[in-house]
Amino acid sequence: MSAISASTAIHSGRVQLVNVRQRLLFTARLRIFWVLALFALLALAALVRIAQLGLFEKSFEHQSLSETLLPPRGEITDRNGVPLARAFPAYALWFNPGAFDDGGLPLVKSPEQVARQLAAIFPEMDIDIAAARLASGKPGYLRRRVLPEDANRIQEIGEPALEIPQEDDRFYPQGTMAAHILGYVAADGHGRVGMEQVLDNHLSDPAKRGQPASLSIDVRVQGALEDELRRGMLVTNAVGAAGIILDVDSGEVLALASLPEFDPNKIDAEGQKNMFNRVTNQVYELGSTFKPLTVAAAIDAGVVTDLSARYQANRPLEIGGFKIRDGHVIGASLNVPESLIHSSNIVTAQIADKLGGKALKRTMSDLGMDERPYIELPARGFPIWPKGEWPRLRTMTVSYGHGLAVTPLHLASAYAAMVNGGIWRPATLHKVAPGKASKGRRVFKASTSARMNQLLRMIAVYGTGRNADAKGFRVGGKTGSAEKPGAGGYRRSTLVSTFAAAFPMDRPRYVIIAMLDEPKGTAATSFQRTAAWNAAPIVGRTVPRVGPLLGVMPDDTRDIDLTDLKPLVRGAH
Amino acid sequence: MMSPHNRLRSVGWAAALTICVALFVALTFRVNAVKSEVRLAERRIVQLEREKSMLETEFQTRANQHQLASWNKVDFGYEAPSAGQFLEGERQLVRFGTPRAPGAPAPIRVASAPDAAQEIGGEQGASRPAVQGQALVAMVSPLSGRPFADEIGKAEAIAVRHAQDIPGRLGMSATRIVLQSGRETGE
Repeated sequence: MSAISASTAIHSGRVQLVNVRQRLLFTARLRIFWVLALFALLALAALVRIAQLGLFEKSFEHQSLSETLLPPRGEITDRNGVPLARAFPAYALWFNPGAFDDGGLPLVKSPEQVARQLAAIFPEMDIDIAAARLASGKPGYLRRRVLPEDANRIQEIGEPALEIPQEDDRFYPQGTMAAHILGYVAADGHGRVGMEQVLDNHLSDPAKRGQPASLSIDVRVQGALEDELRRGMLVTNAVGAAGIILDVDSGEVLALASLPEFDPNKIDAEGQKNMFNRVTNQVYELGSTFKPLTVAAAIDAGVVTDLSARYQANRPLEIGGFKIRDGHVIGASLNVPESLIHSSNIVTAQIADKLGGKALKRTMSDLGMDERPYIELPARGFPIWPKGEWPRLRTMTVSYGHGLAVTPLHLASAYAAMVNGGIWRPATLHKVAPGKASKGRRVFKASTSARMNQLLRMIAVYGTGRNADAKGFRVGGKTGSAEKPGAGGYRRSTLVSTFAAAFPMDRPRYVIIAMLDEPKGTAATSFQRTAAWNAAPIVGRTVPRVGPLLGVMPDDTRDIDLTDLKPLVRGAH
Repeated sequence: MMSPHNRLRSVGWAAALTICVALFVALTFRVNAVKSEVRLAERRIVQLEREKSMLETEFQTRANQHQLASWNKVDFGYEAPSAGQFLEGERQLVRFGTPRAPGAPAPIRVASAPDAAQEIGGEQGASRPAVQGQALVAMVSPLSGRPFADEIGKAEAIAVRHAQDIPGRLGMSATRIVLQSGRETGE
């Protein structure tokens, strides 16, 4: 029994042990199970992730290639596709003093050392100013428009506080050229001043900005015009200059320049000062350049039927105490061609008097001189237009370009109408497809226009425009030197010299206007201040440069037929 | 209880299904791998396009009108061409010639096969001068040796194709187009 009891005792002890062992084993197995389950779960998760990555598209939004390559702002090109303004993925150099985020010094090295290293990359950087900015601990741009290679060199300095964020910048490869036409893009991403402002919606619309917007101007022509205007402005010490080349048949502006210019790549206070556009915004009394318009109006109205009729030219005209006189007495009497060739105020005033204020006013208003000039640019000056019925004296002064102030662009459009057969068309900076030119409105008869072409050519051959007569280009045009109005009347010493011309006169295609604001008499102009000596030579030098580019080849064997008018001019044959 | 035959069939189906799924998964993996390669290539294209546009801009900036004009003024001194440098047509060209002197050697005549055939066709009377006018030898490009008319047509096609990039834009002027096409066909 004892054995049985003993065995029972032992048995019960054994059972207990087995129970403990089993429990322990169970716990161990449970633990192993959990560990394995964990591993299995991890493996499963990894597999699911791999399958997800392998089987499905990536979750991040994928931009298409064309979307990525779409410029942030559309390109502006000239009429031949040469880029004038384009998006430029540039870097900027930004100083971020909080880059370390530990409250310590922002820079590893001393500000002077870093400034010296930066100056080694950008030689024009002022070391002291840069060091002061780095030492000030204020975040800000140290520089914008950093090239990629320079950005790499900045990285090599090894300062975390010098950050190089990539920015969408606007760049004008031609620099200051055509700045007044293009304008610039301000920090808010919208265009200012020129076509950047006009085309802002087009240039920022994702559907359209992939296609460049092409303007009517030609870079080469613009360059030549600016070049010659700048030269003319410098040799005469003028305060400013303006010029425009206009297609007479379509109204397209081939070049438009206002000097001094600004740099759209770098807008500063000085640039802001020069943003004023002299061609479209400033109104001037353009003087004698109006005489051909008056004569054209008189011929058109049938007031002048005989060009050989003579008018007295040696006595000043006295109207209500105001005297109209010429610079010098040209002769006792002059006929119409002679009056234009020698630019006689007295004779033009008499012709205008015969024509009458009503007719002259209607012609001027038909030529668009009573409203802002037609062009896309936002800055357009309103003419000083005498309202109401023009009295006799007003009619006479307007006939030679005084008492009515317009922009040079008004004059260019008017000359285009005068030489192209009589159709006035608005000027445009958009490229016009062949046959798509504006219909315009008729101002002069075609016969009047043909006669005026002869007269304009005669001025350049025999008269004040001789300095503009580029050989072989058949230039015809009229000078104008008007005194600028100041406090208490006209200031005799400050002139606006203009030369308004067209070429080739046997079949006019382009109007070109050069204007100098307050030119001085210098050795280069034989100490003369009038347009014949400063503005006309600008046209004379520009036309040979731009003519062949515009499809007008010089030709000595062609010219407009002047045989019927030649006998009317003394000394012309 | 399944018959062995049925069991074999279901095992076969299962195997086929497994193989199909495996192939499908493998194919999808492959497709996505290629897709990601394409994406990488696209990224590279974008990078290169950006680089290209950067270089284009730099080129345009360095060759801007202002710079060219000042180089011309200082280094080259080229002037605008004068009337004497332009010819409007055969009539003006003929002005430079002199009439044949008596006893001068006969002018060199160049034969041309297709024109000769035409001449046989239209040899009678009045049509003869016109045919002789056509008998001029076609101008040949000095670079590729092919007739000029073909070259110009091709150059235009190339110009249209390249209208969006810089060599195309620079090659807009007629003389450049011919030279450029000569180089391209020479390659």
